[in-house]
Amino acid sequence: MYVRLKLLGTLSSCYPGHYPPAGLNIEIAAGATVADLVERSGIAQERVAIVTINGVLAKAGDRVPENAVVKFMQPVTGG
Amino acid sequence: MRFLRVNMTDQTIRSEEVAEAYKTLGGRALTSIMVQSEVPATSDPLGPENKLVFAPGYFTGTTLVNTGRLSVGAKSPLTGGIKESNVGGTVAFSLARLGIAAVVIEGQCADTSFFLHIEADGSAGLVEADHYQGMRTYALVEQLRQIYGDKKSITCIGPAGDMQLLSASIQSTDLDGRPCRAAGRGGLGAVMGAKGLKALIIDQGGKTAAEIADSESFKTAARSYAKAVKEDEFSGQILPELGTAALVEPINAAGAFPTRNARVGQFEGAEKISGEAMAELIKSRGGRTTHKGCSQCIIDCSNVFVDKKGDYVTSSLEYETIWSMGGMIGNDDLDSIARLDFLCDDIGLDTMNTGVAIGIAMDAGYRSFGDGTAAIALVEEVATGSEIGRAIGNGPVAVGKYFNHDRVPTVKGQSIAAYDPRALQGMAVTYATTPMGADHTAGWVVAQNLEAFGGTINPHKAEGQVELSRDSQIHMAAVDSVGICDFAQSGLASEEGMANVHTMYAAKSGLSFAGDDWRELGVKVLKAERAFNRGAGFTAKDDRLPSMFYTEPLPPYNVVVQVSDEEMASTFDF
Repeated sequence: MYVRLKLLGTLSSCYPGHYPPAGLNIEIAAGATVADLVERSGIAQERVAIVTINGVLAKAGDRVPENAVVKFMQPVTGG
Repeated sequence: MRFLRVNMTDQTIRSEEVAEAYKTLGGRALTSIMVQSEVPATSDPLGPENKLVFAPGYFTGTTLVNTGRLSVGAKSPLTGGIKESNVGGTVAFSLARLGIAAVVIEGQCADTSFFLHIEADGSAGLVEADHYQGMRTYALVEQLRQIYGDKKSITCIGPAGDMQLLSASIQSTDLDGRPCRAAGRGGLGAVMGAKGLKALIIDQGGKTAAEIADSESFKTAARSYAKAVKEDEFSGQILPELGTAALVEPINAAGAFPTRNARVGQFEGAEKISGEAMAELIKSRGGRTTHKGCSQCIIDCSNVFVDKKGDYVTSSLEYETIWSMGGMIGNDDLDSIARLDFLCDDIGLDTMNTGVAIGIAMDAGYRSFGDGTAAIALVEEVATGSEIGRAIGNGPVAVGKYFNHDRVPTVKGQSIAAYDPRALQGMAVTYATTPMGADHTAGWVVAQNLEAFGGTINPHKAEGQVELSRDSQIHMAAVDSVGICDFAQSGLASEEGMANVHTMYAAKSGLSFAGDDWRELGVKVLKAERAFNRGAGFTAKDDRLPSMFYTEPLPPYNVVVQVSDEEMASTFDF
């Protein structure tokens, strides 16, 4: 099955040439979790701190449904 | 180092050696302890007894990167309590290089306005400035540069400060000489206006070297600190690329992006005003996404926003303003947000207090949410001094009273910032308990509530939030005192980084500084601030959020503030 993966911050540089607002079409196994998708993306896990599935915060063990829009965001600091 | 005391009542200026009690203090520690010591807590914030203190951080003027921070302190007319408002730009560095640890504005001149001109040799004089009353900051700075030349750092007020409105900011010039940096919080521009001071004009040619007892140790630690700032992904890559606007998507994802006067926590237009969208727009128009705004900066989180023709609109458009003039008023148009940012800088207004004030007016039905054009007209009204303009310029509480509307997201009279306290419970503790009124920088505890896929602490629960906020508030009181930029905290995020800070403090002061000394510095500042506020009449009941945050579940996670009054009251158990 496929999901749409959007990489925010500077994560989009991990996939040179793609158009970040459109995201990437990624194939994953049925029942795959957020952690599986992070691994499948090839992005180091410590670079991904916040994940949403269809706009809702997700945890590492949450399953990713088919055709979901998933966003990866980096750790935030500041104030 | 010396203090410059300027008495506006008789227009005399006195230069004095820094008193022993202040010798190892800078920034917020200096302003807060001085205000607590010298200003009667019950005094009129807009009267002659209040003092307006401008102090560079303790490390400002040294070789340490990202220390161009200026603390501005006084009794706040907005909150009625003590205030430290912090700003970047070039003023702090210029003062430090003139050997000035603080400029203290005392007394009051009610019928005449002045500039304070500090020259390269450190001499200072007051220059009559009645002709400039009511002038906006960009025009003022342009005229001052023509008169005094380009090599001046300027900090000034606009019409809002002249009118002594409670959201009035004090604007400072950046490295390009634009008055686009704001000590926005607490209405300190109104204090400056009440003093009869329109601008400080500070020569950038000071050559006073920072007094450092062990310069080699300081330099070695400072180099290591800078390396850590550069190597960190957020300060080294994300901020230069996207600026603080990089926070729009994560905070919106957390459901903590107060939208339409905090009725919901996610804004459907967030993607249009995100850091990613803004960077794309700026680049396509020939603006600048990586821009140095402050002295000694190596992060370059600033930007230059331009219009469709490529002409300058504002600098720097950053996260809090994108929220206050975006999500908070339901506006997904970056061009109008940028225009509103410029207008606030030009009129001299806190963008947060002003955006929230407009959001309340829209919530009350005065204008429609999402109408950026109406928001621009309302900010322009402030400069005219009209009835509605004065209400907007006096901030959310004034607008709530004007429309008899009770959904007013403030603490101690100051608006919240861009983090809804229901979806990030640690921010509820910080907003409620900081002596500053709702202030995100006083104890920013967002990262721990969001990291590792959902937070190492549950953002929707009370557990652990008081301790988190307490530690952060103590830490930030120390950070604001040494003058390190919030965004350069990556340099002290590790044990080695903190050790570098200890080394630099010891090397500069010539005194021992280790172990708990950093924490004790922060506690000392907070104790002074809380003592002042108690004297001004504040009690534990003032350390509360407005009822809307306890009673209205915030979509999409439908949470309310869980932290009890007793837990709030335990925040300062030290």
